[in-house]
Amino acid sequence: MSEYKPKLVCFSCKFSWGYLTNEDMLSSKIDNWLPLICTGKIDATHMLEAFRAGADGILILGCPEGECHYQDGNYEAKKRVCLVRRLLESVGIEKERVRIELSRDPEGNRIPELVKEMRQELVKLGPAKRGLVTEKKSKETTKVRGGK
Amino acid sequence: MAKPKIAICWLGSCGGCDETVVDINEVLLRVAAAVDIVLWPVAMDFKYDSLKKIKNGGIVLGIVNGHVRNSEQEEIAKILREKSQLILAFGACACFGGTPGLANLATKEDIFNWVYRDAPTVVNPNSNYPQTISNVNGKELTLPEFYNRVYALNDIIDVDYYLPGCPPPPYLVLHAVSAAIENKFPPKGSTLAPHRALCDSCKRNRSKPDKISIREIKRIHEVEADPDICFLAQGIVCLGPATRDGCGESCMNINMPCRGCFGPVEGVEDSGAKFISTMASILDAESDEDIARIVSQFVDPVGYLYRFLLPASILQKKQIVK
Repeated sequence: MSEYKPKLVCFSCKFSWGYLTNEDMLSSKIDNWLPLICTGKIDATHMLEAFRAGADGILILGCPEGECHYQDGNYEAKKRVCLVRRLLESVGIEKERVRIELSRDPEGNRIPELVKEMRQELVKLGPAKRGLVTEKKSKETTKVRGGK
Repeated sequence: MAKPKIAICWLGSCGGCDETVVDINEVLLRVAAAVDIVLWPVAMDFKYDSLKKIKNGGIVLGIVNGHVRNSEQEEIAKILREKSQLILAFGACACFGGTPGLANLATKEDIFNWVYRDAPTVVNPNSNYPQTISNVNGKELTLPEFYNRVYALNDIIDVDYYLPGCPPPPYLVLHAVSAAIENKFPPKGSTLAPHRALCDSCKRNRSKPDKISIREIKRIHEVEADPDICFLAQGIVCLGPATRDGCGESCMNINMPCRGCFGPVEGVEDSGAKFISTMASILDAESDEDIARIVSQFVDPVGYLYRFLLPASILQKKQIVK
């Protein structure tokens, strides 16, 4: 069990996180890092999609409050995260698996640290419940294809 | 020339979808004159055996309503797929798993324990649970196997067309049936309903302010909703922005907010997730505590956002193993 390595997806806004660093250098230190322009772009669909794709947790790093380049993308992301957490809880997935932090780090050194920190939290939670309450389902039925 | 053969079948269904076929009224007589209905368990006396005798592809259109949760439903779905040139998933259950799909929040064991042991009205002193095979007086009796989860029809068989709704409104049924008779179907995989969102045709749309901002989330039974004003503007959760149009606004007309039976709009997989993004944008919160306060008023999010869609949602859709 000690070998369990949770998969974490980290989204970060380029306006506040790591913009002074060589992105390639930094990305070699962080698995599944998706630097993007504005966290307001992250739809709830992307978050759920990450879980489907095998993520055990999502970390979103946005610009400090009141400093979004596009007025309020970070604030929108925050509200979205809050609602997604509520949804996840109601399907039995721990809300702690989605986290958002609004701050700034031009050098980006804190990104690997924050990822590591959250990964440690995820180790405690174990793998995320995925798909269904039971895991046997994929063998239960096979799909029949239509003609032509 | 022989009349084209049509089959109408229910799997895990309440019968509402069959009822809506009957609701096309006297047009049904014209349909019956134009086609040869070879199977319609709710209305006509055909046996599944007679279906097996039809040659593969011998049925022009198989209209299937209801979800798949047991081996019998799966078997019939697969026979219909073999025998039909086209399969139409009819109604929310066939398209997305429907309301019964919420059972996917519990395990099969939980469900059996509740139904056969724990529910207060159950009297079952011998703890009898249904078995797929049991012997009574030397005879073997069988029951279909109850699966671990509810499936949408396209988890089990290829589906050519979708007609959502709980149930689909008669006018869309009519369009679908006439398209089948005249052989004027859109490309395969299409949903036979408008592509836009319900808000586009909602009469309340004009009452909507430029920017909706809400500080409270209310449930419809807690307030007296104004029948002319946008539900969301009143702080009442209404899935209109994320739900496909075409239902005829039967809920709106009786002052009930949209509950999403038409599923996602064209090009969207998971309308629940999309609605979360919509909802986030209209929350007018001042601080983290305020966001938490408003969000906590959203009771039972999975039950509301996925009332008809859970088995087809991103979190639960069966992964197709290639």
